[in-house]
Amino acid sequence: MEDLKHKKVLIVEDELEIRNMIDRFLRKEGYTRIFCAASCQEALAICRADKPDIAILDVMLPDGDGFVLLTSIRRFSSMPVLFLSARGEDEDRLLGLGLGADDYMVKPFLPRELMLRLHIILRRVYAAPVVEQLPVFRLGAYIVDLEGAVVRSDQGEQALTAKEHALLVKLYHERGRIVTSDALCQAVWGDDYFGYENTLMVHIRRIREKIEAHPSSPEHLITVRGLGYKLIVTEG
Amino acid sequence: MDGAAHILRRFARTTIVISVFLLILNFILLGVWIFKGMNVEQSPYSLVQTVAEALQASSNGFTLKKEGEQLLEQNSAWVMLIDDKGKVIWNRDLPISLDRSYSLTEVAQFSRNYLMDYPVYVWEHAEGLVVVGFPKTSMAKYQFNVPVGWVKGLPFRIVVMVLGNAVLALLLSLLIGSRLIKSIKPLLHGIYSLAHEQDAYVEPKGVFSGLAQSINHTSLLLRQKDASLKARDEARSNWIAGISHDIRTPLSMVLGYASELEESPAVPAEQRQQAAIIRQQGEKLRSLVSDLNLVSMLEYDMQPLHTRRLRLSVLARQVASDFLNQGLDDRFMLDVDISDEQLQVKGDEKLLIRAITNLVQNSIHHNPEGCQIIVQTSASSDGRSCRIIVMDNGQGVAERDLPDLLKLPYSSARRRPVRNGHGLGLPMVARIAKAHQGQFSLISDEGQGMQAIIELPAGSCSEQT
Repeated sequence: MEDLKHKKVLIVEDELEIRNMIDRFLRKEGYTRIFCAASCQEALAICRADKPDIAILDVMLPDGDGFVLLTSIRRFSSMPVLFLSARGEDEDRLLGLGLGADDYMVKPFLPRELMLRLHIILRRVYAAPVVEQLPVFRLGAYIVDLEGAVVRSDQGEQALTAKEHALLVKLYHERGRIVTSDALCQAVWGDDYFGYENTLMVHIRRIREKIEAHPSSPEHLITVRGLGYKLIVTEG
Repeated sequence: MDGAAHILRRFARTTIVISVFLLILNFILLGVWIFKGMNVEQSPYSLVQTVAEALQASSNGFTLKKEGEQLLEQNSAWVMLIDDKGKVIWNRDLPISLDRSYSLTEVAQFSRNYLMDYPVYVWEHAEGLVVVGFPKTSMAKYQFNVPVGWVKGLPFRIVVMVLGNAVLALLLSLLIGSRLIKSIKPLLHGIYSLAHEQDAYVEPKGVFSGLAQSINHTSLLLRQKDASLKARDEARSNWIAGISHDIRTPLSMVLGYASELEESPAVPAEQRQQAAIIRQQGEKLRSLVSDLNLVSMLEYDMQPLHTRRLRLSVLARQVASDFLNQGLDDRFMLDVDISDEQLQVKGDEKLLIRAITNLVQNSIHHNPEGCQIIVQTSASSDGRSCRIIVMDNGQGVAERDLPDLLKLPYSSARRRPVRNGHGLGLPMVARIAKAHQGQFSLISDEGQGMQAIIELPAGSCSEQT
């Protein structure tokens, strides 16, 4: 992972103070090869000469906007790009992402968030591809193996059906939080999910039969009346 | 165009009424005025009859009674009595130029016409024929000779004539009316367009060219006014967007360095806590700026709506879950109450969620001692609109202060300054409702809790399940 910090980062930002601040945070975070540009011209020159690995682009630049700059960069490079803009309207956000930006952040921003997002992009693009493994977690006496789609316990192994699996993935992803029945149905049946609420209840009951010691008084997969369900996982 | 046909109908009706009225008036005038002239003076026939009766044989010829003489003098008429042989046996004021004896042919001629240009009238008398002559050119004599068939057909002819007149009046009124309508039609069209806020242009020609020019001018004025209003709104909205944009850069630095200090192990704990306060206030400022921008965009119709069909129940559950997931304090009870899962509206999901969130936030904010909050969805009784109601049983707001809550803070329409919070939350909800062709209302009184109702036009509630 450490080699991600050796990636070349380009900051395109016309405000000197913001540029210095980002530069400072990047250095503190451990990045060493940082390039700065204050205009589209400069940015393009650096892109051609130094071939940065990732760019943080401002949208409003003195000699054009960041969207045009991204289009120009895309002609010869497919490096990841993160927009950092003072324009927060949906239109700008969608335009930026539509042009192929990897992320879009709105000023004012928290430096920690910028670093995290930058890191996520770098890892996704440059880190050795790891096969995404679905988690295995413990619920009381049961071990839920989402990768293998089974629930193990002293009594043996119980397979999860496709729908039960999809529901558990969604619930685990949002563990400790209420997931509305709408969101659960949408995760399993897609956008045309209306009318599956009763089916959802049936599936939830079957899941409980597999993961709860007392399915009628659940401890892990609990109902939040009127809203949805919550999966409580005690980590560790 | 409905208006034109209406006008034409009215016009034809009025014309027919007017012509019938004229016809009746003419008949009356004819009777009263014209025929009256004939009867003003005594008719010559009755005069000659009176004279004949007043003429009586006496010992020395004939004597004319007083009333006969008076009548003759009044009319400056003369009289003669012709016996069976044609000889004038008595006369009074007979002009000298006239003969004193007449043949049968002459008698037959003058009894119908004139005697030497004197209009004369005859009446039988015991001794012969009384002839009264009036001064020349004082009377006109006409003979009417009418076949009996013609007289019999007269009522029918009169009816036909009246009917013919009515039909002619109708046709003429339709002709004139339709020509009038033809020239009015463009004007009507222009006025209708103006009423519907469309551009109107009427070619100025004919009688109504002045009117047409006024309509064109009005249309131009309206367009100019509209454009200048739009420009002003846009300028205001852009101004606020510009300010909020300009605030973002310095705010970035405040947030950035404050959070760096907050996390720096080199800084003493107390100062780190102060940095945390700076960061939190900076974040508040950040949300205030973006709220301000959103409200201004909504206020001036600059906010684009990304509408799609949304189920109200989904929105209500989403908002409630978000609040609960963010760790709602135990003092508050948050529930949803869905009357009909299928209630749908066409709306912008983000904005509607924002509106409901603001309402729940409002209830939490104004009831620090805690309260029960219910997010309810329901349909109006006629099914035309859906409601999202956020109600709490908290301390409420005095009824007279409710209208103020929907006004923008610091605007002249707001009577009292904002008490706490930035005061943008409820005005934002009102504007989001308005942007969805809906409305927002508050029901509350001190100690009565608060009911906030967003009413939106229903987007075909009952679709297939």
